[in-house]
Amino acid sequence: MAATQSLPIMHLSLITGGVLRDGAGGQLGRVDDVVVRLGADYPVVSGVLATVAGRRVFVPAEVVREIGHGYVELSEVRLDLRPFERRPEEVLLKQDVLDRQLINVEGARLVRTNEIELARVDGWYRVVGVDTGLRGLTRRVLPRRLAPRVQLGRFLDWASVEPFTGHVPTVRLRVPHPKLARLHPAQLADLVEAASHREGEEIMSALADEELEADVFEELDPQHQREFIEERTDAEVAAVLARMESDDAVDMLGELDEDRRRRILELLPPLQARRVRALAGYDPATAGGLMSPDFVCLYATATKREAVGRIRRDQVKPNSVTSIFTMNLHRRLQGEIRLADLIRAEDDDVLADLATLKPRVVSPDTEVEEIARLMTDYDLTIVAVTGAKGELIGVVTVDDVLELVLPRGWRRRFDLFGGE
Amino acid sequence: MAGRVSAAKALPGRLIAGGARLRPRRWRSGRRNRVLAALAFLGPGLIAANAGNDAGGIATYSAVGATYGYDLLWMMVLITISLIVVQEMAARMGAVTGKGLAELIREEYGVRWSLFATVSVLVANVGICISEFVGIGAALGLAGVPVQVSVPIAAAAVWLLLMRGSYRVAERVFVLMTIPFFAYPIAAVLARPEWGHVGKAIIAPSLHASHAYLFLFIATAGTTITPFMQLYVQSAVVERGVSTNELKAERSEVVTGSIFANVIALSIIIATGATLYVHGEHHISTAAQAAKALEPFAGRYAEVLFGIGLLGASLLAAAILPTTAAYVISETFGFEKGISRNPKEAPVFVATITVLIAIGAIVAIIPGLPVISLLIGVQVVNGALLPILLIFIWRLAASGELMGEYRNGRAFNVIAGFTVVATSTLSILLLAITFASIA
Repeated sequence: MAATQSLPIMHLSLITGGVLRDGAGGQLGRVDDVVVRLGADYPVVSGVLATVAGRRVFVPAEVVREIGHGYVELSEVRLDLRPFERRPEEVLLKQDVLDRQLINVEGARLVRTNEIELARVDGWYRVVGVDTGLRGLTRRVLPRRLAPRVQLGRFLDWASVEPFTGHVPTVRLRVPHPKLARLHPAQLADLVEAASHREGEEIMSALADEELEADVFEELDPQHQREFIEERTDAEVAAVLARMESDDAVDMLGELDEDRRRRILELLPPLQARRVRALAGYDPATAGGLMSPDFVCLYATATKREAVGRIRRDQVKPNSVTSIFTMNLHRRLQGEIRLADLIRAEDDDVLADLATLKPRVVSPDTEVEEIARLMTDYDLTIVAVTGAKGELIGVVTVDDVLELVLPRGWRRRFDLFGGE
Repeated sequence: MAGRVSAAKALPGRLIAGGARLRPRRWRSGRRNRVLAALAFLGPGLIAANAGNDAGGIATYSAVGATYGYDLLWMMVLITISLIVVQEMAARMGAVTGKGLAELIREEYGVRWSLFATVSVLVANVGICISEFVGIGAALGLAGVPVQVSVPIAAAAVWLLLMRGSYRVAERVFVLMTIPFFAYPIAAVLARPEWGHVGKAIIAPSLHASHAYLFLFIATAGTTITPFMQLYVQSAVVERGVSTNELKAERSEVVTGSIFANVIALSIIIATGATLYVHGEHHISTAAQAAKALEPFAGRYAEVLFGIGLLGASLLAAAILPTTAAYVISETFGFEKGISRNPKEAPVFVATITVLIAIGAIVAIIPGLPVISLLIGVQVVNGALLPILLIFIWRLAASGELMGEYRNGRAFNVIAGFTVVATSTLSILLLAITFASIA
């Protein structure tokens, strides 16, 4: 913004505390704060807060003729005596921005606002920048008489800063932070780590899309990952994890307690869940590493119709529904029904009566040879994997086992180099 | 299905080698609980409170016991309550806002007030920093090491430690070095004090209308509730990312830490009261004298025990102090802080630490320094400046706008207000008397 360099720049600290006067030069009161509307590149002054005869009043921009150091002059005396309330996107410069932290998008770091610079641009008063250096600070510490002697220092162009607005009562969640999109995920993560939790949350929620959010999560240190996971629902966390690199996802899951980890793992898309499990150190040659979290399991009290409806709705892979499973009210695995038996049953048959088969179960640590033996001995195409409380956590299907037990020489060459 | 085979290929030998692992390798369970357990053992509250029993603290408590016997014990109870209240407010603010104290003062009260607070904290901190190095010199002096050798080496070591960033480990070592102070409660019991008198002194306040009494009174308040302790607790809580969910654990940690440190302080007074005071040694001027209070327990090893404890406490505070001062300056003026201690990236941060350590070390090696009087004098300055920071802490912690549902409760607010009023009255009284005696 080269234009601002030649304009007369005004300092907020010399405007507030000045007199509010009418066109004839009569003193009305004292200027307390300047109201601006965020959103535009250079926020426009939308009014002034002043104290007139001991009362806080709002002076709308329409009646302001001129703003200068030490005064705000009105064209007509029209004061709003109602208690001031910020309209959407409005902030008070002194109360909400001055002395607080801002994001300097150019350098990707947090800076503190020592002074706010205003100028008349394109016909009206706007915020053009912030001083984060010593000059702005000195001007505000000095007595009022000496303050104007401090020369204008170098200041950050407002186009490259983004204020935090989370602490401002009404603008919450309404001000987007479009400038953040210019930053690299690693820079965003640095900012989140350097900011307080609330400010960090503001940055995170301002991220445009979930892809970017996942990238930032990848870069965050474990402590901050934990902080932000805590406030999100299982589904939200799963959505983030689904987009993360698998190994980062594993690390992040490792920050959670076991219950939550299992719940989230079940919400992950199958491919990511599989990768994550494998990486998490479930030996890929055990049930835990082989299993798919995709399966159909209903309460034993459900009917055949309900079961079929479920199979229709859930996009479970065909291989994983060669059998469906039933559980009791404590989610403990109870029975297994082969797809063929299910189809042959009447619509109103209760699953408990159909589940004549006692499912063969393995634990996540069971090795692949053992599973292969089990499948061979009992003619199975699917084996249930249960957790510590007897609940179904996944199924191993025969195709997964075959891959591993097939002697090396039997495999087709091109398969060895085939990608996903 | 093609890709799956390649997955198997990527893991050759697993079929044969694959010993069943019982737990996923990278996911440990109960991580959180272990963090909390560690927090309860060596958290910010305990470290801060322990650093409060530094060189100045030991000197002051010893002087109190030697000069007035048990007469000041009653105030230790009140001070403990006040300390708990103040430390809790600081920890709570850290957890709720995620910001340091200096930062909050700047944001809520503007640049002038925050400058005022910063200057008073700095004045107090420079004084304490000197006293820590005096303490280090005195501790090693017991082993015959001259201060001209011990202090510069200690200063260089502390500086390197802070710059190299292996600070967390060192902090633990220093805290462990304060374990010898556990000897004080034992010594206090072995000295066979008249428990009836001790009990009475704790319950019934006994006042002396003298300048010296008020002087020690304020020094005791100043050394027990030191501004750097609140600054440190709040910053440490922020840095460790304690959230409001963990507030309960953090609170109990702060409370136990404060009580623990003050029980030691109480036993120092009792131990000295039962030995030095009873034997008519009312005036302590050297560390060797102060160490005598440990004789009932340690016999001729009293000096060794006292020396190690004093060294640990002084080193701990000598490391914490310059860091909190640097944090305060950086937060107030918005300079780059913490994360990197590289002079190029955080020049002011590094400079503050360096200057404070240098001043502390240089003053401490001045020959013929009246050690104990200097230590107590510094605590008096501290006590006089204390109300400034306390008022800010009190107002901020009570602010609904800032703290929301976590603001001070009504009863709590009254106790906190009482602490502020009491300390303010004391420091105004001190100023008045000092001016009166000059005039």
